[in-house]
Amino acid sequence: MISFIIRRLAINAGMLFIISIISFFIVTLTPGSPYPWGELNPKISAEVKANFRKKFHLDRPLHEQYALIVRDLFTGNLRSIKDDRPVMSRILERLPATVALNLTSIVISLSFGTLLGVFAARYSGHWQDAAGSFIAFLFIALPGFWITYVVVIALVKGFGVPILGTHSYGINFPSALASGLDTLWHLLLPATILALGGIASQSRYIRASMIESLREDYIRTARSKGLSEDFILYKHALRNSIRPIIAGIGMVLPALIGGAVVIETIFAYPGMGRLGYEAVLERDYPMLVALNFVVAALVLLGNLISDLLSAAVDSRVRLE
Amino acid sequence: MRSIRLFLYGIPAALILLLIAAFVNASFLSVAKKNEMSIGTIGEPSTLNPIQQADSASGQVAGFMFNGLLKYNQDLEIVGDLATKWELSQETTFQFVSDEEAKMAHSTLDGICREVPLKTSLAGKLLIIQLQEPGLKQSDELEKILIEKNLHPLPFPPLEKGDKERPFKAEPIIRFTLRKDVRWHDGAPFTSADVAFTYHAIMDERVASPSSSDFELVSSLETPDPYSVVVRYKKPFSPALLSWMQSMLPAHLLEKVEPAKWAEIYNRHPIGTGPFKFGNWKTNEYIRLVKNPDYFRGSPWLDSVVFRVLPDPLTLQLAFQTKQVDFWAVEPWAVQGVENDKRFDLFSSAGNMYNYIGWNLERQMFQDLRVRKALAEAVNIPQMIKYILYGRGVQSTGIFTPKMWFFNPKVQPLPYDPKAAAALLDEAGWKVGPDGIRVKDGKRLSFTLLANNGNDVRRDIATLVQDDLRKIGVEVKVEIYEWSVLLKRFVNKGEFDAIVLGWGLGNDYDQYAIWHSSKTHPEELNFVHYKNTEVDHLLTDLRQEYSRPEILRLTAKLQQTIYADQPYIFLFVPEGTSVMWKNSYRIRRPGSQPGEWIDSPVTMTKAGWNYDMEWFYRAEYSPKIPATATIK
Repeated sequence: MISFIIRRLAINAGMLFIISIISFFIVTLTPGSPYPWGELNPKISAEVKANFRKKFHLDRPLHEQYALIVRDLFTGNLRSIKDDRPVMSRILERLPATVALNLTSIVISLSFGTLLGVFAARYSGHWQDAAGSFIAFLFIALPGFWITYVVVIALVKGFGVPILGTHSYGINFPSALASGLDTLWHLLLPATILALGGIASQSRYIRASMIESLREDYIRTARSKGLSEDFILYKHALRNSIRPIIAGIGMVLPALIGGAVVIETIFAYPGMGRLGYEAVLERDYPMLVALNFVVAALVLLGNLISDLLSAAVDSRVRLE
Repeated sequence: MRSIRLFLYGIPAALILLLIAAFVNASFLSVAKKNEMSIGTIGEPSTLNPIQQADSASGQVAGFMFNGLLKYNQDLEIVGDLATKWELSQETTFQFVSDEEAKMAHSTLDGICREVPLKTSLAGKLLIIQLQEPGLKQSDELEKILIEKNLHPLPFPPLEKGDKERPFKAEPIIRFTLRKDVRWHDGAPFTSADVAFTYHAIMDERVASPSSSDFELVSSLETPDPYSVVVRYKKPFSPALLSWMQSMLPAHLLEKVEPAKWAEIYNRHPIGTGPFKFGNWKTNEYIRLVKNPDYFRGSPWLDSVVFRVLPDPLTLQLAFQTKQVDFWAVEPWAVQGVENDKRFDLFSSAGNMYNYIGWNLERQMFQDLRVRKALAEAVNIPQMIKYILYGRGVQSTGIFTPKMWFFNPKVQPLPYDPKAAAALLDEAGWKVGPDGIRVKDGKRLSFTLLANNGNDVRRDIATLVQDDLRKIGVEVKVEIYEWSVLLKRFVNKGEFDAIVLGWGLGNDYDQYAIWHSSKTHPEELNFVHYKNTEVDHLLTDLRQEYSRPEILRLTAKLQQTIYADQPYIFLFVPEGTSVMWKNSYRIRRPGSQPGEWIDSPVTMTKAGWNYDMEWFYRAEYSPKIPATATIK
């Protein structure tokens, strides 16, 4: 087990190195170059540009730039082109809000998705199932930004509720409860909309694996023993169907910090998605390399955790 | 089993209950507003260090915290901010072959000096004259007098390529007298050392300041005492005065720190001299400033100002409607919806920005003025204003916009006249070919028009131009690129046929960087390769001219000459509109006398509706008047 972990970590380190090279070249070979002075700015002289390039090593050959970026990344000196701050502190300051949003959204999609999946499996073949499937596919098919705009416009025009950012502004809150609920509102609303697609797909997974489980021999045995339908459904079928989800929980890690550009932009929510999106538009090379690196590291770590969890849950899986 | 069911039903039920509770809370939130102004911004400021910022979002926030030596008043005239007084003068130096000749020149000019008080002094072969006005005119006159007396001053080598060789050296001098009652937000007094530090920091290449080109011509900056600054320039450069609107940095905090560290210790929580102090900054969410009760003009009325980063234009509107931000810059298409709404106050004015189509004048087909004129006449600009700006704009007549004091109103816009355009093209030898596209010497009149992604106005312009030009037999292919690609691949290298862009240039009449024939190298701004000797002279003269009537004469000529040459199709100047909830703010600004305050509703001034925003106050928080104050 321990040797497995060590071996995997070594392989992952090698993978990370390759990923860092690929991501650096994808980022720098994209057409365009950083221009942090707004639109064409007549005050920016050739010297200013030259100084700027020198400061961020953009005047060096690509392989040297890569070496410098990696060196700075590991010594914590890598700075964003946009505001000259260390990239890691820019990433870290986004983390709490991003994790809060994504965690809430994952909880919502898992809980509602499972509930709907069980419901659909129970009434499989009936109109309830058809209606559930219809709604699920509708949510998968509708573009997220469209749903978001519809919900947002309806809430603002219809009820005049503030929805943007992480809390309401310029208001003297009457109590700590009101202020807490306000913050919760600014978290739950985007998280729910973000979760819609997840609820839909999660319910399809659960439904499929439940229906499969319900056809198994042990279920027939349980039925023949005279156990109640509820007991069979929840105790036997659901338990067995939920196993693939537990194994996949490692993949939650990258999803926790992965951004949701559209939702974050519309809700003015300060998350990781906007950070990356803006860095792409600004050609903020150091920022992009660091982001790619962090996300890649988390994906690899997530894979490792998945494998370990699978082994822990399922005795048929052995780690060699 | 019970625990499974609890999870299965309990969590969703709890979530739904929480959502409902939060929604009810949000919709019943008290309207008890704080005494805080909330401003929405699409982009997040990159830094609050005023010498390192180049984006408008940063400038807007820093504007509340910093002061320059000078500023504009509401009529866009230059007035003192941190400086109480500024005097312009000039030192002109003549050089002669010998000490004797210099002495003779000295006594010659001394004779004149009895009528016009001039201060002259001798230093070996040099004759130094103190003039009260900067510029070249007086020095030229003195030179004429000397030559009449058969005294021939030696020429000075030109400072830069393109400068004329002159028989004298003219060095303008600005003397600033600073306010004595200004303190930094940390209590330290503001002195001339801060001015000197700011200047040196801007010129420090480690700082990579985008303002450095404004100060390149400074030859020395001296601080004879804590409240005087003397700046000397290498040659006459009249726009230099504007550069002293530059916000000042505190020397006592930054002097001993190397610029690479400023990002940590200063740029995100700066200390300024302005009416508001830095409060806190949550990245990509908001920046809050709090009032500076010790501001040298008096404490502002608002407790705080918050700038919210709202990256989506639609949600910015929603934020305004839920009173989460107090102002809304309305897009042209939405103006009609709020125009007659009694709930809002509307502020509209012509902007400082114009849109254009630039021709690459290195391309042969655009070198013929008749072709450029024909293309301009074939484009239906009034229709463009109607459909793209919903009528909220005026046709551009050249490099200046109507709001600027040096705008030339006499330049007439080219009419929309496709027939005349077709005739012009025929005359220029471009005849309609078999496929309906004009041909000359086997070449089709076809070109690619570039625009940048994410700017709907420019995309729409490109589409309408394509349509208009097809009608006179010109083929236009439209290509849209991301901004940074457009810049690097096409604009900087000068590799394009035609491009849709815009210039927003503020109140500076100096457009040397955009139109001078020496500025056509890669990455420079005369990327259309416009070359006109007359324009070159006008641009150079304009920079050296200090008298207002003369400046007006030169800018009038400049605008007319460039418009006649049509290196761009000058399209239109969009109008900007902002709204706020009716009477939600009023303004009470300091009057000219101490203790005098002028109270008024928020109104449009030449400098914009939001000029003096630091003196805005919320209607429900009417400021308490000091007993000594008088209100107009």
